[in-house]
Amino acid sequence: MSDLASLAIEDVVAGYGGGPVLRGVSIAARPGTITAVLGANGAGKTTLLRTISGLVRPRAGRILVDGADLARRHPEDVARAGVAHVPEGQGVVTELTVEENLRLGALSRRGAAVRSTALADAYRRFPLLADRKRRSAGALSGGERQILVIARALMAAPRVLLLDEPSLGLAPRMVAQVMDLVRTLRDEAGLTVLLVEQNARSALAIADRGIVLNLGKVVAADDAAALAADVALRRHYLGF
Amino acid sequence: MQEFLEFTLGGIGVGMVYAAVALSLVLIWRGTRVLNYSQGGMAMFTTYVAWLVIRGTGNYWLGFAAALAAGLVLGAVLERAVIRPTMGRSPLNAVIVTIGLLILLEGLAGIIYGGQYRSFPPAFSLHGLRAGGVSLGISPNDLFIAGAVLAAALILALVFRYTSVGLRLRATAFSPGVARLLGIRIGRVLTLGWALAGLFGALAGVLVTPSTFLYPNSMDSIFVLGFTAAVIGGLESPVGAVVGGLLLGVVLSYAGGYLGNDLVLVYGLVVLALVLMVKPSGLFGSARTRRV
Repeated sequence: MSDLASLAIEDVVAGYGGGPVLRGVSIAARPGTITAVLGANGAGKTTLLRTISGLVRPRAGRILVDGADLARRHPEDVARAGVAHVPEGQGVVTELTVEENLRLGALSRRGAAVRSTALADAYRRFPLLADRKRRSAGALSGGERQILVIARALMAAPRVLLLDEPSLGLAPRMVAQVMDLVRTLRDEAGLTVLLVEQNARSALAIADRGIVLNLGKVVAADDAAALAADVALRRHYLGF
Repeated sequence: MQEFLEFTLGGIGVGMVYAAVALSLVLIWRGTRVLNYSQGGMAMFTTYVAWLVIRGTGNYWLGFAAALAAGLVLGAVLERAVIRPTMGRSPLNAVIVTIGLLILLEGLAGIIYGGQYRSFPPAFSLHGLRAGGVSLGISPNDLFIAGAVLAAALILALVFRYTSVGLRLRATAFSPGVARLLGIRIGRVLTLGWALAGLFGALAGVLVTPSTFLYPNSMDSIFVLGFTAAVIGGLESPVGAVVGGLLLGVVLSYAGGYLGNDLVLVYGLVVLALVLMVKPSGLFGSARTRRV
């Protein structure tokens, strides 16, 4: 399994001083798939993403991206290795314009031509951002900001995308749009997506696989459809 | 009326020096949230470098360039070697370290060059300019000071606004966490910020020292006034630093001119206290509460 995986997390233990938040987590995600990471508040979902992207240093375990171990690397190096982490909530730099936020996403890439192509691609894919490129990013609505941070993450041409609660605080129509976008990214760009969601129902609707975290351990891992069909699991951990 | 004109123009000239010091403080504060108490000491040290080069070659401009280069290098080296280890710890650590640096630099300068007052040449004449028989209160050198600081500030503004290096600097100042997740090596960006601050400090040192003499403590009072200018401007804003410097220069020039020159530093401290009481966020500071 793990040699087929684009992203493989093996026996990762991590936390913030004190007891570990992740207590031996293993996940494998095949290239071009969406894996929904589900669980209650405090289950360790956000810590998992922060550990993969290097913001939290794991105490044990390996984090393999296309076979290279990125555990204990700095966040900027993990990003340069092709992992884009879109954190929950305030990822937009509100003091900068929409275009500056986008350009920021490509700064780690070499070559002015590569960067401007990426910018043109972003505007083609997200006309909404092209219309607002000179506006301050702080003036965007919640849904527009979510589009902006995802578009900015794509500027780096990542292979793995880590999304933390992209639907948080969005109106239902916007949630559907964001989920559609994630699905499109998998289908068209072949991205491997780790999708952390409180909203288990809409996450499982687009995911290939799902894992359920509880108190820092994986308590269930299966095809998304199977998880969604497991009534006991849903009632116990997912609340729908 | 003529006095008023003299005081105003003279104040603008001195104010540009405060603006340069304020800019150096703002550059560091924005990037690293450190108030660099050693900025004046660094500027004094780089001015000694200029003094050595001018004495050795007889060429003012070589000394000028050497001071700026030394400022860049000194800023970068100090950030890498001394400041970086304090990051991620209590803010007090960095404060103590920069105060220690100040003492170290002033002590070193005393050991190497001695404590005596040395005269430092101006770039241009210090004789007052006259327009139609009326003294303007400023010299060609004052014009050079104002022009040099303005040009440097303008270049800085253009770099910030239009280059990818500037974008890195701004993103790192506003959201270092986001910048890292986007693959920006913020360590290098912070080193660059300190180097630029060293450059502006060095510029201030070379420009102001012809009117203060050069000695190990020669930049102390200029640093305090530059800090006041930065606080007036809000500590966050490069534009605020320049405006704050000019405002402070003019106010102190009136106070010195009409009330007597002996207490200028005290008036500066009064202005600082007033700003901190009335509008602690400064003229251009963001009202946004700091992220925890």
